[in-house]
Amino acid sequence: MKFLGRERPLQIATYALLISWAILVVFPIYFTVTTSFKEKLDVFHGPKYVPWVDFKPVLKWWIRLFTVERTEVIPPFINSLVIASVSSLVAMLLGTMAAYSLTRFQFKLGRFGNQDILVWIVSQRMMPPIVTVLALFLLFKIVSQKYLLDSWLGMILVYSSFNVPIAVWVMRNFLSQIPVSIEEAAMVDGASRRQIFFRIVIPMTLPSLTATFLLCFIFAWNEFLFSLILTFDNARTVPILIASQHFQRGPQWWDISALSTLAIAPVIIIALSLQRNLVKGLIPIGK
Amino acid sequence: MNTISGLFSGKREGRVFLSPAVLLLLALTIFPFFFSLWLTFGKVSFVGGLSIHWVGFRNWARLFSDERFWNASSNTLFLVAIAVGLEYVIGLGLAILLSQSKIRGRGFFRVLFLTPMMLAPIAVGYMGRMMFNQTRGPVDHILTHLGLPAVAWLSNTDTAIYSIILMDVWQWTPFMFLILLAGLETIPPDFLEAGRVDGASRWQLFRHVIFPLLAPASLAAILIRVLEAFKIIDTIYIMTGGGPGISTETLTLFGYSIGLTAFDLAYGSTIAFSLFIMVLVMSIVLLLMTRRFQEVTFE
Repeated sequence: MKFLGRERPLQIATYALLISWAILVVFPIYFTVTTSFKEKLDVFHGPKYVPWVDFKPVLKWWIRLFTVERTEVIPPFINSLVIASVSSLVAMLLGTMAAYSLTRFQFKLGRFGNQDILVWIVSQRMMPPIVTVLALFLLFKIVSQKYLLDSWLGMILVYSSFNVPIAVWVMRNFLSQIPVSIEEAAMVDGASRRQIFFRIVIPMTLPSLTATFLLCFIFAWNEFLFSLILTFDNARTVPILIASQHFQRGPQWWDISALSTLAIAPVIIIALSLQRNLVKGLIPIGK
Repeated sequence: MNTISGLFSGKREGRVFLSPAVLLLLALTIFPFFFSLWLTFGKVSFVGGLSIHWVGFRNWARLFSDERFWNASSNTLFLVAIAVGLEYVIGLGLAILLSQSKIRGRGFFRVLFLTPMMLAPIAVGYMGRMMFNQTRGPVDHILTHLGLPAVAWLSNTDTAIYSIILMDVWQWTPFMFLILLAGLETIPPDFLEAGRVDGASRWQLFRHVIFPLLAPASLAAILIRVLEAFKIIDTIYIMTGGGPGISTETLTLFGYSIGLTAFDLAYGSTIAFSLFIMVLVMSIVLLLMTRRFQEVTFE
């Protein structure tokens, strides 16, 4: 698009604004990462910014994280990894199946058709989690406190259901672009629906499936409220670890900065490597 | 969308593919939703085993006379309005700047600008907590170096909410930027060229070409952000915990602290339901606006 023109002052202003926002974006992340390498005094004596210039970086908090504090820090990371991975797989599979069904079959439920079913599914994501989570807490307590509360199973179920709408939305956009002719040909050759889905559709949509999985993974990895209410100890996830560490030792910025760095690192890596795919999947406009 | 041919009319097979997702949603969203609605008319007791009694509208009556509820509602609305408004304006500005055809490093800026929205809000909240710390944080340090007065950001009942708004803007402007940039990329260059040939000024081009063409994307982005912003808890939970006092308490945080900290699940659900009603009303209003707008533009 050509809108602003090529005049030199305008060009300079454009870059100045873009670079200023870039600095605003990077600064809090930079400050958090560097704080995890600061000595206590460098934290307490006002903000220090540049390693080797106004403070001497140390590795000891990171070492401590993986040694002395290991038993406290590692389990939530394992919980988060397991819960986010498994729930994203479930959401991706169920979401893809539903999206496949909505793009290949014609449903009629009274006066409601495919579009209404899609809207119903996607709108679930709009519901404020606090509405369901207090009831879920009680329901889990009633049904099976042992297996559902503060457990991988309970969290995987909850996160799957909370990611299914996203998976349906993204996969429907991809699946509606794949021509049905290949599937029809396979069907003429006598392939069953299940064979078509697992042998043809899944392999063809592998890149979009990866994008969907990673998107669900990021949502699950970052989620806070469900985990806050439905886990207490054994199944605590990373955001809960950060929150509780913050309340236990708020002023010890170095520890919590290291934890925060660990919590955001995987997401930044995923985002950088797959940004284009993730973005394309989310918004069908602009294609 | 593909045409649905005769070969694909096997209804039962379609249901087999659709039902797992639907069942999961019914069990873990719809059922809890109605259970929660029922709770708003009940009282949960854990004494001598779990029991729930019907109490009619008592929770709702309590809600409407609860000053803490009105405080949380107005905090939530204020935060949503200011934060989403700022996010829209900044996001639009950045999207326009970056959609210019001769920008060097566009890919770099784009990736960088999108990063904050991917991060865990709890980590972003912690960043905010450090940024706005009065004695050890960089914001006041930089302000005083620029000769500006330091602000008691998080510890003052008047300014705490602005610290939260600023962190929300930091994290979610990228979302507006993302949608609006995609919207801008669909505007045919000829439209701008035609306007320019007719001698339209830049402001006129923006006001009469870009802005109206961008309206569907704008409304969609605003709708999604408003609905998401209504649910805010994580950043606040860690930045202020709703304080000082209850000056930054939002509805989700209020519902959580009544439901689980005070362990009054029925009243907590009532608060949560009031949030649901607000979100519902808000989305209906915004959807009607979208429809009205489309009628006006495309008649």
